[in-house]
Amino acid sequence: MNARFFSLGRVRAIGSNTFTELTRLRVFYVFLLFALLLIGSSVVMARLSFQQEFQVLKDISLGAISIFTSLLAILATARMLPQDIEDRTVYTILAKPVARSEYLVGKLAGVLVLLAISTAVMAALFFAALYIREQSALAETMRQMSAAPPEQVADALREIRDSTFHADLLAGIAAIFIKAAVLASLTLFISTFASSNIFTVVVAVVVYFIGHLQGTAREFWLQEQGAGWFTRIFLACVALLFPDLQLFNLNDQVVAGATIPPAQFVETALLGCFYVAIYLPLSVAVFARKEL
Amino acid sequence: MIESAVHITGVSKTFPIPFTRRSIVAVRDLHLRVEPGEVYGLLGPNGSGKSTTLKIILGLILPDCGKAQIFGRDTSEVASREAVGFLPESPYFPKYLTAFETLRFFGKLYSLRPAELSRRVAELLELVGLTSAGDRRLGGFSKGMLQRIGLAQALINNPRLVVLDEPTAGVDPAGSAEIRDLILDLKRRGITVLLSSHLLEQVQEVCDRIGILADGVLVREGRIGELLAVENQSELIYGNGTSDLSAQLEQVVRSSGGQVIENRKSRTTLERLFLEATRK
Repeated sequence: MNARFFSLGRVRAIGSNTFTELTRLRVFYVFLLFALLLIGSSVVMARLSFQQEFQVLKDISLGAISIFTSLLAILATARMLPQDIEDRTVYTILAKPVARSEYLVGKLAGVLVLLAISTAVMAALFFAALYIREQSALAETMRQMSAAPPEQVADALREIRDSTFHADLLAGIAAIFIKAAVLASLTLFISTFASSNIFTVVVAVVVYFIGHLQGTAREFWLQEQGAGWFTRIFLACVALLFPDLQLFNLNDQVVAGATIPPAQFVETALLGCFYVAIYLPLSVAVFARKEL
Repeated sequence: MIESAVHITGVSKTFPIPFTRRSIVAVRDLHLRVEPGEVYGLLGPNGSGKSTTLKIILGLILPDCGKAQIFGRDTSEVASREAVGFLPESPYFPKYLTAFETLRFFGKLYSLRPAELSRRVAELLELVGLTSAGDRRLGGFSKGMLQRIGLAQALINNPRLVVLDEPTAGVDPAGSAEIRDLILDLKRRGITVLLSSHLLEQVQEVCDRIGILADGVLVREGRIGELLAVENQSELIYGNGTSDLSAQLEQVVRSSGGQVIENRKSRTTLERLFLEATRK
């Protein structure tokens, strides 16, 4: 038995318990079902030219994955602390040699595992839908071009394949998960000082919208007001308080067919880690002083 | 020098009332000592500061001033809780976990090794009489069974100090008697027990010493026998006596200048009567 400053074993135990608890929530399955239906229905929604069809399918599916994971990140995280305090589970856990930092990290880890699995499930369905449409498009193209020269057929088939699967899809989906992780850590921070579950959800949703709009607002501000040092400091503070969530939306590039340079993806991932690394210690600092 | 299991010196705690300048004094200049191996009962009406005192001991809240220690370690240190087991009032456990899984989860929080954890879980299920229900989900457990699982999780780390907050709240007399027997068993094994309860009769039965809190102040403290003794009265209980013997004894008391206050048949307790009547 030991009470080291930080034990991964205790974090794992709390994380795994949190994950199990979250998977028991019916609302989670309702959301997941809704997202899966949306992704599945995108196959029949788009009956346009092949390129447009793939574009619409990606647009709807990636949008559904993004909205679902963001909502899940906020709703699942917002209920954790108030629920544990209300039913006094937090007393039973923190009366053991468990540091409050371990408790919070464990809780966040449980949510992140849930988000990772949900994202993977939705991505798998999305890829399946895309594959089905690709196979159908390939078969139809071959049928239509049965009399065309082989080189022309090969070019047409390559064009279809190029507009369906490519590595950038994975980068876009990974960015969705990173954005959800940022939202989860932000929501955890809000819940450490919030008085209720509803308050946490409302504030997190407001921050979500500000986070998506602040990039545009910043550009507008810089154009109008110039880029003086005061403006820059102010904007940096705003960016720290409200994460620029638009930076995690690599989907738009993926849907438009543009490639995502590895450097841009690494930058996005590091930015996500930076935000989590800011919000988590802040959460621990506030929660450490919280009187239970 | 043997370290006290719990040592509180000069602890005060106030809670500000939100949106006002006022505050509530929960505990005022509390001095309390619980020695190793004893069963200490913390009594008091609602709002007297019992829960705040327990929370300070468990490091869940920090005192405004003063010091609280468990076996010589400040309660603000996470490590001070290594030797402690805690059963909160009306404990909640996830309904989807089995008794076995619940105990494993809490055992992992003490970083118990897998083999040791499995052994402890089996021992504790046996101790609280839930071996046959180990694989059942807690959602189907009665209040008494949940309380016993709560007690088992409080003992998972083989603690030197067990803190019980209203351990028999909402439990029927039979369950309550079982918990009392478990507390007495802990005492026999040399484990210190700090108990908060409203059931005065039960506290009287199991505690060595008690402290009574009122408005955050420790107004009485001492050994049960000493606190309850009526200074100028004595009791004599005898068996198989005739009414003549009783009359003779009364005569002896009067002739020696004493006063017979009451002469009655000895009584059992309501709890014993209930348990005998409902025993299967």
